[in-house]
Amino acid sequence: MDREAAIVLRHVTKSYRRDQIQIPVLSDLSLSVEEGEFLALMGPSGSGKTTLLNLIAGLDRPTGGEILVQDNDLARMSDGQITKWRSNHVGFIFQTYNLIPVLRAQENVELPLLLTSLSRKERRERARTALRVVGLEGREDHFPRQLSGGQEQRVAIARAIVTDPYLLVADEPTGDLDRVSAEEILLLLEQLNHEFEKTIVMVTHDPQAAKRATRLLHLDKGKLVADVAQGRDVRTAVQPENAS
Amino acid sequence: MAFVPLKYNFRNLSVRWPTTLLTVMVSAIVVACSCVLFGLVDGLMYSQAVSGDPLTLLVMRKGADNETSSNFSIQTAQDLATLKGIAQGRARTAEEAQKGFPDLQDKPLISGELLNIPVMSRSDGSRVNLTIRGATSASPYLRPKFEIVEGRYFNPGTRECIVSRSLVSRFPGTRLGQQFRVSDKEVYNVVGIFTAGSSAAESEVWTGREDLAANTNNDRSVSSTRIRAEDNRSLEALIDSITNESRFGLLPKRESVYYQSQNTTALFLTVIGTVIAVLLTIGALFAAANTMFAAVKSRTREIGTMRALGFSRTAILMSFLLESVVITAVGGALGALVSLLFSNWSFGISDFSSFSERVIQLRFGVLPFAVALGMTLAMGVFGGLFPAIRAVRLDVVKALREL
Ligand SMILES: Nc1ncnc2c1ncn2[C@@H]1O[C@H](COP(=O)(O)OP(=O)(O)OP(=O)(O)O)[C@@H](O)[C@H]1O
Ligand SMILES: [Mg+2]
Repeated sequence: MDREAAIVLRHVTKSYRRDQIQIPVLSDLSLSVEEGEFLALMGPSGSGKTTLLNLIAGLDRPTGGEILVQDNDLARMSDGQITKWRSNHVGFIFQTYNLIPVLRAQENVELPLLLTSLSRKERRERARTALRVVGLEGREDHFPRQLSGGQEQRVAIARAIVTDPYLLVADEPTGDLDRVSAEEILLLLEQLNHEFEKTIVMVTHDPQAAKRATRLLHLDKGKLVADVAQGRDVRTAVQPENAS
Repeated sequence: MAFVPLKYNFRNLSVRWPTTLLTVMVSAIVVACSCVLFGLVDGLMYSQAVSGDPLTLLVMRKGADNETSSNFSIQTAQDLATLKGIAQGRARTAEEAQKGFPDLQDKPLISGELLNIPVMSRSDGSRVNLTIRGATSASPYLRPKFEIVEGRYFNPGTRECIVSRSLVSRFPGTRLGQQFRVSDKEVYNVVGIFTAGSSAAESEVWTGREDLAANTNNDRSVSSTRIRAEDNRSLEALIDSITNESRFGLLPKRESVYYQSQNTTALFLTVIGTVIAVLLTIGALFAAANTMFAAVKSRTREIGTMRALGFSRTAILMSFLLESVVITAVGGALGALVSLLFSNWSFGISDFSSFSERVIQLRFGVLPFAVALGMTLAMGVFGGLFPAIRAVRLDVVKALREL
């Protein structure tokens, strides 16, 4: 392997408990993501895409198995440690943007920086830079409701990258957008992947969007059913499953 | 430790201003009501505190709990005047002389007074007991800050009376120049209006003892005698000699102790006031909690987002608690201010010891504001606590799925 593995999942299972019944969502899933990869995750609704994304991002914990992110074993970390790790290393992009409605664009972007030791001035500068990267110069003082969906999502991306995390997770980032805005967002993600070398894991229902990724995963009923390297034009087989 | 920025809370409060305003108003009303209530308690306690002079003895018949139920012979009262250690009256000021105050210079500060407690109709038609005191020339000098604010002091033996300012307008015929009718037989001309430093005397009508005695066919006895001692040692000596003279059958009490023992009304009001304040607080607490529960519910996804970004549970808890405390603090401050509008109000209450009307001036000392502060904090903290805990216990993943 020429590149370091950024994220390694080994035999990960995840089930939810609902009224005494265990509902299996992910079963014995193994996966390794290399640094700088742009991963697209596809699959039918309910197949466990969001669940997998949350596990990788340290928002949720697996029921079984191991998740190593940059050699940190997420399962072994305390809630506080995971929270801290998350705020330093993961940027979140949501389908519904999830901006804080009462905060201006600039303030929304600055929000994650409040968790750092940066000075007020540095926070301002960084937030401005992030907004410039996503092409929203001059919109700093707008409230989310004064922006279009595409612009809101770009503010959200600025918020995701402002702490300079190495991993970006995006759950259907273009799901609520029209074709043109979606295209802009995808270009931006591509640029972040190319120029800023961010590792990106993106869930999408849109095959057009999935094409932009360097690698495409298919999930069905909690299992990986296809794993395609794109751009390199090599179709790799699904990782052999360990006998369970 | 990073906290959620304050503007997040303030802007949310102003975005949902109708509910914010409503909650502010509820807590303001609740705090204002409690402030007024405890202003009354404070006034009552103050009145009791200033009524008792540390060097004054109140002598009553042994076994009597209060002046109303005490009586003993005028002869005994006169014997008391021969005791040693009684302070002497001061010279009148020019103003006092001009207003017809009795001259008590170099005469003993001792006053055997007679009480009559008739049932009287108030101006509003309700009937209560009123204290009419047959006073002596020493009486005004045995009260704190006794002042004639209108008219003059009464001339004994001429069926004149003076009325405490707080009774005027509460009872018909008590204005200066009017005739105050107790019964067909007992009628006094009102020649003056007095104040007495918010002490107990401020709920009384004064006339000459002889006038009251003649009107009530009671010219052989007094209800009580007040004696001002020269100093502490004389006070002790006076207590000893009065107590030990079994022929008297009297019990001397320090005036301050007497008024403290009369505080059943204050105690009762404090208990009632506390119960009401607690109930009101709980009511307002639910209003605040309701607002905050709604706030947490409508901001579930925001909370999930902030947690995902890395804000701690403590930061979220503090943020929602603070928001709730801000609402009730604004309400509490407003309520306390509103209650100050009532600072000139006085209340007629029935005293449980003497069963007579007492007029209490509201007083806004430390007590009402301590109550207001306590209530405000209780409303804010407990009203915000459970919603804040709900916010904190939200599962991040579930909160993010919320729409
Ligand atoms: N907190 C939970 N409790 C119980 N079941 C859950 C919970 N979260 C998710 N699930 C279940 O897990 C399964 C996978 O959900 P997940 O959201 O990961 O699917 P998805 O692939 O992201 O679907 P979609 O494309 O609709 O977003 C679903 O059947 C869902 O009902
Ligand atoms: Mg999903």
